[in-house]
Amino acid sequence: MKILYKNNTDELILLALKSDTARKGDYLLIHDQKSNKRIIVQIYNEEYLSSQSLIEDIVKDEVIVASSIENLHDPLDIGTLSRMIRDARLFKAKIRASIDSESKFSNEITWLPSRVYSKINRMKISEINNLVNRTGLYSIRLGSSGLDEEQFEIYAEDLDGKLNIVTGKKESGKSHLSKILIKTLVEYGAFVIVFDLNNEYGGLAWNGNGTLSTLHEQVTILEPGEGLKFSLDYCGKAAISSMLKNALDMPAASLREFFRIWDWLENKNTLDMEALGNAINTWNTNELVRDALISRFHAISSSGLFVGTLNTSDDGLRFEELVSKKQGLALIMNLGKAMPVVRRMIVELVLTKVVELLEKGIIPPIFLFAEEAHLYIRDTYWEDIITRMRHFGIYTTFITNQPDAISDSVYRQVDNIFLFNFTNDTDLDKISKVSLADNETVKSIVRTLPQRQCLVIGKVVHDLPMVVKITSADIMALGQTKTFFKTGSRAQDISSVSQIQ
Amino acid sequence: MHTQINLVQGSLGQKRLEDILEPSVGQCLSLNLTSFLNGRQIIFSNGESRLVPLEGWAHRNRQPCTTLTTIQPLKEETPIVGIDSSSIQVAETEEGVLYAAKSGIAIATQGQIQAHFKIGPILFYLSEDTLKHSELDHRITKLILFDSESAKRLIRVRVERAIQLELSQHFAGAILLVDGSLRASVFEHTGYTLRKVVENCSIYKNTVAGISKSTRLRILDKVSLPLTKIKAPGFIDVNLIIKSLVRNINGDSLLVKFGNGYTSPILRVDIASANGNKDTSLGKILGNDSIARGYPETLQLAHHISTFTGTEVSCLKSHILNKYNVVELVSEDIRKKLLGSILI
Repeated sequence: MKILYKNNTDELILLALKSDTARKGDYLLIHDQKSNKRIIVQIYNEEYLSSQSLIEDIVKDEVIVASSIENLHDPLDIGTLSRMIRDARLFKAKIRASIDSESKFSNEITWLPSRVYSKINRMKISEINNLVNRTGLYSIRLGSSGLDEEQFEIYAEDLDGKLNIVTGKKESGKSHLSKILIKTLVEYGAFVIVFDLNNEYGGLAWNGNGTLSTLHEQVTILEPGEGLKFSLDYCGKAAISSMLKNALDMPAASLREFFRIWDWLENKNTLDMEALGNAINTWNTNELVRDALISRFHAISSSGLFVGTLNTSDDGLRFEELVSKKQGLALIMNLGKAMPVVRRMIVELVLTKVVELLEKGIIPPIFLFAEEAHLYIRDTYWEDIITRMRHFGIYTTFITNQPDAISDSVYRQVDNIFLFNFTNDTDLDKISKVSLADNETVKSIVRTLPQRQCLVIGKVVHDLPMVVKITSADIMALGQTKTFFKTGSRAQDISSVSQIQ
Repeated sequence: MHTQINLVQGSLGQKRLEDILEPSVGQCLSLNLTSFLNGRQIIFSNGESRLVPLEGWAHRNRQPCTTLTTIQPLKEETPIVGIDSSSIQVAETEEGVLYAAKSGIAIATQGQIQAHFKIGPILFYLSEDTLKHSELDHRITKLILFDSESAKRLIRVRVERAIQLELSQHFAGAILLVDGSLRASVFEHTGYTLRKVVENCSIYKNTVAGISKSTRLRILDKVSLPLTKIKAPGFIDVNLIIKSLVRNINGDSLLVKFGNGYTSPILRVDIASANGNKDTSLGKILGNDSIARGYPETLQLAHHISTFTGTEVSCLKSHILNKYNVVELVSEDIRKKLLGSILI
């Protein structure tokens, strides 16, 4: 490989022959042997070395070869050289860092390597890790990277206290990566809440063959009415008011009346759903307010999210109890079957309650994984999650196939992005504008990523974007789309119908 | 100084300049163009190749008496073998010059190209040392050492003759098509002459035809006029004219139109037929080769195979640098340097 020229401020064009094996995303070390300085570049695009005459030659040869059987007598073997030139490629590489003659690593590059005296070598992941000093105690093995398929891992410490986004088109491997992250975090004793829209993360409790996984005891699957149930007094006035206001759009006047009822029941120590229903029905208030209260009460009641009476043994869900019992916990909230309004109610209740518990220091910081969060988190909540809640100890990972559903303000705060394949130009434009890496790298690499390969950008890779092939995980696949034609009985029905005909 | 310039300007007036040129030029070359050009048809030259009017020179007063024969395609299976070659100068050393040559052979029967052969590139180094033991005449040796065009021609002729000679004894009943006339060259090796090729062809019942894309013999333009009046392929025998003007031509000379159309190009063909039947040989060419734009496709393909591409030239240079332990010097175009360029 040889340096041909510098294109932009941070781009080198390298000439490579067929034998120079490297691919998009690979890192190269350019060692200027005269000055003993090095530059780290990353290949983000690959093109043919092309000129008008070369193309004309290829076309001409192709036409000649197509016209009849070719017999060659090439004593100097010039044809081999010619084929080498035709197969020569140009690697477009972004300059990522430099290392001076005293081995000092820097992101500021103020010099150019020699075209004559530079040696170019592909870098191993271990070499990059050593250079940027990327180490940690809690490694998460994501898969492999580079042509040699070297093991690639990130460190849980780099996800701790950070905001992450996992994005890519449908079936590109987002959920698979998220499951690996969750599994490893829980193995390290972390507490993870998952808003699961496709009811698939429950599979973490089982291995692929249906046997219990090592995490089985640490995975708790909650569904509205089945485990995901709270008592009113545990939720508290703040969580309930937040739910009424934001999820059920209760007007301020009705909300004030609701608080009066709440206080009255609380003073009587009879705060439960049954008493609340009775109080709303008999409360001396304006009829319109009463109607508003009754409709909301019915919504709350039918959601199955609340314990009916105080007189039962079921206290409902208490986060602190779950957390205190286990070393590491994945709390999977299955939202797949819930109505949109119920999803919003769950999210409001859970987040408000968790923040309250975190504020009081009752529970340790938690990792929140939110799938397609734009479907159940109100717009104003985003900033709250990425600013305020982060300080209390909620470290969010958004998983989405719609990068434009996440606002720019979220992207500006993001620490790590796991980018899977996008082919749609609109999505690529959006993600390339807001991601932590440069536009060209994102557009070029992401467009051609195969399934289950992603571009990792951000703090987990010390701002050196890496293409990673995500490893397979022994997790039971749940939440698959129910299909019509794959059903055996349906196929049988069809065959019997055709026989009759 | 100014006085001197004024003096020169004064003494070199228009009249004076005419007086200076008249004794040398005017006596043999008339400067009075008006009387000669008035009412004439004209085509402008492009400085490189020779151009001919698309529909011929329209008004001819004196047409030589010629016999036109039409050609009928003969489907009798006959291999048509097109041969062409090219040579280029690749590099120069203090003592000599490196040339490269390439040849192409294309074989067609029944209107289809059956196979082609790409020969080369082959490198030749011509210097006093390398030519010391050659049996070349010392005048030719001097010529090719000082004139690269002659050197390229020598290489081309020798490579082509070797191939032609081989093919002439390899095939039987075939027609060999070569680019250019069948004129013996001073650059030929005594063992590999065109005469031997023709002799071999005669022995093995092959025909050899040399097809020239253009001719410097202007009289042929006048003779060819009848061919522009017919649509079908045809030929005119110009053997007597050619033989009276050019020496060392093998075979008979014809003006042939291979194409089917009024504007199809008219080519000079020197043909040495095995049985002396030119009609049959030309008919076999039409029946077994395909004629594209009035030119046999075997020769077209052989030409394309034998020409050097930019990539090949680069590869040759790289091969020379890699294999022969040579040191490349920085060079400059002295003409460009001296004349400079006016950018517009």
